[in-house]
Amino acid sequence: MLRRFPKSQAVLQVYAVIAVMLSGWTITAFLWKLSTWLLTLNMGEILTVFSYAMFINLVESLIVLLLLLIVCFLLPAHILRDNFVVRGTILSMGFIGSLMAFLGLYRQFGMESSVRLLIAPLALLLFTAILLVFSSKLRFVHSAVLWISDRLIVFLFILMPLYILLFTYVIFRNIV
Amino acid sequence: MSRISRRDFLKLYAALVASTAFSGASRLVSSADFRDVRKPNILIFVFDAMSARHLSLYGYARNTTPNLQKFAERASVYHSHYSAGNFTTTGTASMLTGLNPWTHRAFTYRGMIDRTLADRNLFHLLGNEYTRVAFTQNLWADILLSQFEMDLDFHLPCDVYSQDKFSLFQPDDMLGDRAIAYYVFQDFLNLRTLEPHPFPGSLLLGSAELSKALTSNGDNISVNYPRGLPTVYDFSYENAAVFEGLGRLIHSSMFQSSPYLGYFHVWSPHGPYNARKDFIGIFPDNPKLHGKSRHPLAASNYSETRLQDYRREYDEFIADVDAEFGRLISDLEETGVLENSYVIVTSDHGELFERGELGHASALMYAPVTHIPLLISAPGQRARSDFHSLTSNLDLLPTLLQIAGKEIPSWIEGRLLPGFGGADDASRSIFPMIAKDNAAFRPIEHATFAMIKGAYELFFFTGYPNHQDAFELYNLQEDPDELHDLFRKDINTASRMKDELLEAVNTANRDYPKK
Repeated sequence: MLRRFPKSQAVLQVYAVIAVMLSGWTITAFLWKLSTWLLTLNMGEILTVFSYAMFINLVESLIVLLLLLIVCFLLPAHILRDNFVVRGTILSMGFIGSLMAFLGLYRQFGMESSVRLLIAPLALLLFTAILLVFSSKLRFVHSAVLWISDRLIVFLFILMPLYILLFTYVIFRNIV
Repeated sequence: MSRISRRDFLKLYAALVASTAFSGASRLVSSADFRDVRKPNILIFVFDAMSARHLSLYGYARNTTPNLQKFAERASVYHSHYSAGNFTTTGTASMLTGLNPWTHRAFTYRGMIDRTLADRNLFHLLGNEYTRVAFTQNLWADILLSQFEMDLDFHLPCDVYSQDKFSLFQPDDMLGDRAIAYYVFQDFLNLRTLEPHPFPGSLLLGSAELSKALTSNGDNISVNYPRGLPTVYDFSYENAAVFEGLGRLIHSSMFQSSPYLGYFHVWSPHGPYNARKDFIGIFPDNPKLHGKSRHPLAASNYSETRLQDYRREYDEFIADVDAEFGRLISDLEETGVLENSYVIVTSDHGELFERGELGHASALMYAPVTHIPLLISAPGQRARSDFHSLTSNLDLLPTLLQIAGKEIPSWIEGRLLPGFGGADDASRSIFPMIAKDNAAFRPIEHATFAMIKGAYELFFFTGYPNHQDAFELYNLQEDPDELHDLFRKDINTASRMKDELLEAVNTANRDYPKK
């Protein structure tokens, strides 16, 4: 059954893309909020907020990865598993990117026009689907995606220890 | 059949635990030995953003509060009662700690009391002799209650009596870290659709909540609520459901657990002013008001006509919540609850509809936003008493300690209320303030201070660009609408009050040296 899943190195490369994108959003939002918290919270409390946020971030990134692995498990191997790094990366970037567009447009335009909020995310998802189809045919897409996932894995050396540290801190606060 | 969510399950579980305890189970039985059942119960009802200036109880032209007036016939009524702040955090913190805002430091938006002072609160001082139950619909007041968590026997979730919940996570989901939970979820990870340009920290949670908001009935407009349901940032509710819930809670909990302290802080009549249909249009005529030009520090610029419309909606909403309160009090009276209970009715701050400004929490501290109601009905009281001397919401804590037969600590900055051992003091000064953009850990240099003394009210605006160190002075008795600035006309009063106010500010900043 394990053969239906991609190799761990490939999973790690795709996870790096997911974790970097999700944590990038969270850290940007955190910095955006920081100035107001500095009026009210002390440094310890701000770090606690950050710990919880990154804890949730870890859970979210694992959920996205799990979804991807489930899809991988269900589909025939040649569709996703055999080219997991490239297609997994494209899928992750397309999915997370469309959520970013969804919330980003909402931030800008509010809820006045729900159609406007959906156009960009749907366009991005369509573009993702096109990339998926042509990723094996277009050489530069293939190599660009590989390059991205390869480069982003370095961030896991920062993110994973941070996740573990903050995860432990959150668990500690809720048990002790 | 609708599914039970994890939150609903947790709430159901909490309610079951609470009802088990309240129905005479372990904790209450074990504590019965040291509880003095002869001590009075205390029920505190706080109506968020209820300005005394809009209550017919205090002479307002529209008949907004017939039920409060009926209740006042058996209560002590305070006519010159002021909040220490013009928004929830400051007003509530001062009421529950008996401290000035510059002492407790909860004066920023969604602020907290100085962590070293968190045990200086009503619940702690009354002690475990009382069963202490607290509920607020206001998430910012809930931050303060969360700071007092150790001193509460029961702390109900903000949305326990609500209908439609917008956020997937609420602070009560994090029982182990409730004081900080607001900042994690409400203030950061969740999407606040009512905020302009929200930036949720969680991409997945934020997207899920936005999808939910897009597919839901936006403002929860219904036949009974043509303007939409009353709404807090994270949920909608009906006043009837809230007050019925509180009635049930009091009945199910108080009889087995005297003496009992209940703190019930409801969101209404805070905006949006979504009254039930029965109250819409009940005030067709506009009261005759003096036009006031826009203040340079007003956060908005509403026309007089718009403000009249909002004022009408606010008054309708007050009438709505007044009716529900009347029903609750009748019920409590019929069931004998009032026979051994002090009932306190007050607010955390008022509301402003003038000088281009709508609402509260701006740099403006005019009387409608700080003048709040206070009524105290003693057990078995049958007659009304009226008190016109100046009182502050810092005074509630020492007065309640006196009622409960507790010692009043020397650090409390409030005084006993007249009628409960306090004396009239014409020389008394009180200092409402707002400093929402000033760090709580720094000297207060960006703020509006008010000083009320006798008939006069002095304002000191400091740290505002283009309005640096400005003063205004009004005579509240001769000019209750605050139309004629006397600062450059009544030089003696202005100078005397200015010196006293600046001295108070300097003293407050003494322990917070500039960097």
